[in-house]
Amino acid sequence: MRLHLLGGALALLAPSGAFAADYLTAEQAAKVLFPEAERLEARDWLLEPALQQQLIQLGAKPHAAHWHVQLAWRGKELLGVVVDDQVLGKFEQIGFAVGLAADGRIRGVEILAYRESHGGEIRLPAWRKQFVGKTQAAPLQVGEDIANISGATLSCSHVSDGVRRIVKLIALARQHGLLV
Amino acid sequence: MPHHKATRLCLALASCLAFSSGALAQNSGSEAELLRRVEQLAVELNQLKAELARLQQKPAAAPLAAAQPAPAPNAAAAAETGPAAAPATVISGYAEINYNRPLKASQNAQADLRRAVLGYQHRFDDKTKVVTEIEVEHGVSSASDPGEVAIEQAYVEHQINPNYALRAGLFLMPVGLLNENHEPTNFYGVERNFVETAIIPSTWREGGFQLIANYDNGLSLQAGISTSFDLNKWDAASSEGRESPLGAIHQEMAQAKAHDLALFGAANWRGIPGLLLGASVFSGQATQKQSAIDARISLWDVHARWTPGRWDLSALYAKGTISNTASLNAPLVGGESLIPASFDGWYLQSAYKLWEHGSYRLTPFARWEQLNTARSFAELGQGLTPAAAPTERIITLGANFQLSEGVVFKADLQRFREAKDSDRFNLGVGWSF
Repeated sequence: MRLHLLGGALALLAPSGAFAADYLTAEQAAKVLFPEAERLEARDWLLEPALQQQLIQLGAKPHAAHWHVQLAWRGKELLGVVVDDQVLGKFEQIGFAVGLAADGRIRGVEILAYRESHGGEIRLPAWRKQFVGKTQAAPLQVGEDIANISGATLSCSHVSDGVRRIVKLIALARQHGLLV
Repeated sequence: MPHHKATRLCLALASCLAFSSGALAQNSGSEAELLRRVEQLAVELNQLKAELARLQQKPAAAPLAAAQPAPAPNAAAAAETGPAAAPATVISGYAEINYNRPLKASQNAQADLRRAVLGYQHRFDDKTKVVTEIEVEHGVSSASDPGEVAIEQAYVEHQINPNYALRAGLFLMPVGLLNENHEPTNFYGVERNFVETAIIPSTWREGGFQLIANYDNGLSLQAGISTSFDLNKWDAASSEGRESPLGAIHQEMAQAKAHDLALFGAANWRGIPGLLLGASVFSGQATQKQSAIDARISLWDVHARWTPGRWDLSALYAKGTISNTASLNAPLVGGESLIPASFDGWYLQSAYKLWEHGSYRLTPFARWEQLNTARSFAELGQGLTPAAAPTERIITLGANFQLSEGVVFKADLQRFREAKDSDRFNLGVGWSF
């Protein structure tokens, strides 16, 4: 009887989801975020101390000077930029990528890797859609304009913080004419 | 690094030339053949020079200056320079230090290091990790002190495929809102709520196997087989069973009697951001073939949490039942606490982030609870069946002040509708990392 019940319960678990894994590379994420791009140009940035300081003054302290950036081109038109980064969840690193359109609006957020035992729901499109269309003028903060996921508070907060940091980085880069 | 590569390349070039010269001395048949070999070597030399120059010029990353757009290295080079890999072993911990001051019996005021927990998570490889937590309660644990040392979690988790993971060992049961998220930074109030302490015996753990699945529609499922309770531990002379029926008979995998196993399952849906709807069920025999009487313990709960903007709203109902308690209670008649046939409780909680500055965050909250640890008893005969316990109703008003992301100070006032002498003021500090 017990085994029969357990078998029945297991039969309900039809595969359709995802759990604790590497999902996308940064380049695959860029293609998802800018499917119309004809060319992706990868750039490797080492942020100068003066720019790092400006980023800190904007309330987005970078955890490293190094940034991996991909520019999405269609012919000579710059469609936008994709930046990938990592933040700590509760115990493990979460890899993610943020796509920003040429006007500075968030095109989308993709989760590249998630390995925590709980909170994989941040991969759900419904949660990631909360960022779409927002600019650096938005709080981009859990408990303000981004809803939390119960049981994954740290993952939600840290990814939101990471997205906010990238939005400010790209706004700063645009101000200085670096996205050309 | 390019210098090392250049040195290795020069050595390789020199070796190549020396070897080729030796071969020429032995094998040259004619001057034309010699010239052809020299020309071939010259071509190879030029290729190596070009490769050397390319290696020396390749930068790791271009400094980004305000007036200087960064050069664009090729995509392959950029892909090699990601952030450092996460460490395989991570240390974690949390602690709660509480002060309780009864309003009508201040002589009973108490300060307690309620618990300090140290844990580690070690990842053996991409798919397999182990999670362990060691807890010390009440500051000092010895034969003459009230403290105790316990292993709160000790399990291996293996990712079977991208859809499912298997957990084996001693794990927290997937029940309610608090049991798996019991760190002080995760709940409002100095003390954990009564329903998820007295009805759901948090921190409730069992040993066994558990399958975990997450789905793209926001549904997560957990199901498994585990150890169960031991009703033979019920002490009718103690009030412990009245305070928490399941807390009095849990085994915590301390040489747990394991003839009777239990099945459990939980479903949680998080398909809409900010909303959690969930339910759980546990059911297993619990006399462990230590007596002729079989008895089944079942516990289920439904719970919801909604966090729109600055609000944090939650609700939970939990109910437990124990079968065959008439037979189990017959020899216990006259004792202070007999085994209840059912027990239940629910709460509603509302919190609002009132103020925030940097990492500081002030969140007042209110919680209304009703619970009954002995909702009903099985019929034992006239004059022998105990009366059901009165339903306790508790209101808690207070606030959490987050000092830093992992540090929280708490203060609250609790009023009890039945045990009015228990009204109390609480202060606490907790942390989690």
